[in-house]
Order: sequence, then structure tokens, then C-alpha cells
Amino acid sequence: MDAVTYPDEGVAKFIEDNLIPLRVAFDHKPLATDFKVKWTPTLITLDSDGVEHHRTVGFLAPDELIGSLMLGIGKSNFEREEFDKAIATFSLLLERHPKSDSTPEAIFLRGVSMYKSTHDPKPLRASYDKLTAEYPDNEWTKRAYPYRLIN
Amino acid sequence: MAGKIEWETSMDKALSRAKAEEKHVLLDFFNPG
Repeated sequence: MDAVTYPDEGVAKFIEDNLIPLRVAFDHKPLATDFKVKWTPTLITLDSDGVEHHRTVGFLAPDELIGSLMLGIGKSNFEREEFDKAIATFSLLLERHPKSDSTPEAIFLRGVSMYKSTHDPKPLRASYDKLTAEYPDNEWTKRAYPYRLIN
Repeated sequence: MAGKIEWETSMDKALSRAKAEEKHVLLDFFNPG
């Protein structure tokens, strides 16, 4: 991460604009124990109350890190039921990083966020259609499979 | 200026900044070698 990803200008700019970066050693007490860290790098997205919403383990290239961080922010919005913010964050991820490994989950959660904010099930079907068309073998496409029955 | 990440090292300070700046926190557990 220090050799490739963190020196990347786009990564540094994204973090500066959107996150407070906090770095501690893998054996930090009590944080490593509190967060049950077993390997490095472990990257965790927290909300401002310190609640975890997203975690990755292992190296991420610059574009993948930005996608993963956007997914983490969107998941935080989603889990705090800030659905308008979640939809905006997931949509931005889809627009800017369509090839990211994080994008299929964002499509899934954007559909769920739309449903939860409107109670209209059509966005669930739309997420299934988009996942099937663009990411046919992805695990999130399989998880959206029941939504094919929505008309 | 972007280009170098200015890491916090204190959870309390990071959370305080996150609240004040309405941002999330990226917590990186790393191996300092």
C-alpha cells in the first residue's frame, strides 16, 4: 500500500476530501484486539461514532481502494438509514468506477436503498437486471436472483 | 494539497475530526516492519 496505492494522487485526494485517515500498528492495544485484526493491511470504514461498516484485508490497487472506500461510506449511510445519501454515494461509485470489484455490491445496495426509501420494489428488479447484464457471474447477481420475479 | 496522506494516530482525535468535518474514518491497521 505504501509503495503503490497511498502515494497515488487520486487516492490521496479522495481520502483528503472524504475521510479522516487513521493509521495504527497491527498490534496496537486496544484497537487491534477491539477490531479483531488478524492480518495486514486491514482497512476499516468507521462512522464518526466509531462504528464499523466495511472492512477489507489485503492489498488494493488505487482504483480498487477508492471504490472500496466509496462502498464503505455508502454502507455506512445505508446502515444508518440515510438512504438518500446512500443512493448518491452508490450512484457515484457506479458512475466513476464501473469496473471496480466493489461496484456489484453497490448496485445491489442502491436498489435496496431505493426500495427502503420509497417502498417501490421496481428498483430491486432494476438492480437484478443491471447485475445480470453487466456482472453475470458475480455473487451479488446471485443474491439478487429473487428480484427477477418483480414486475 | 493532495499527494501525501496525513495520518492521524489517535482514535479519539480521528473521531473528533470526523464529527466536526462530517466525514467517515479510514482505519488502517498496518505492519510498520
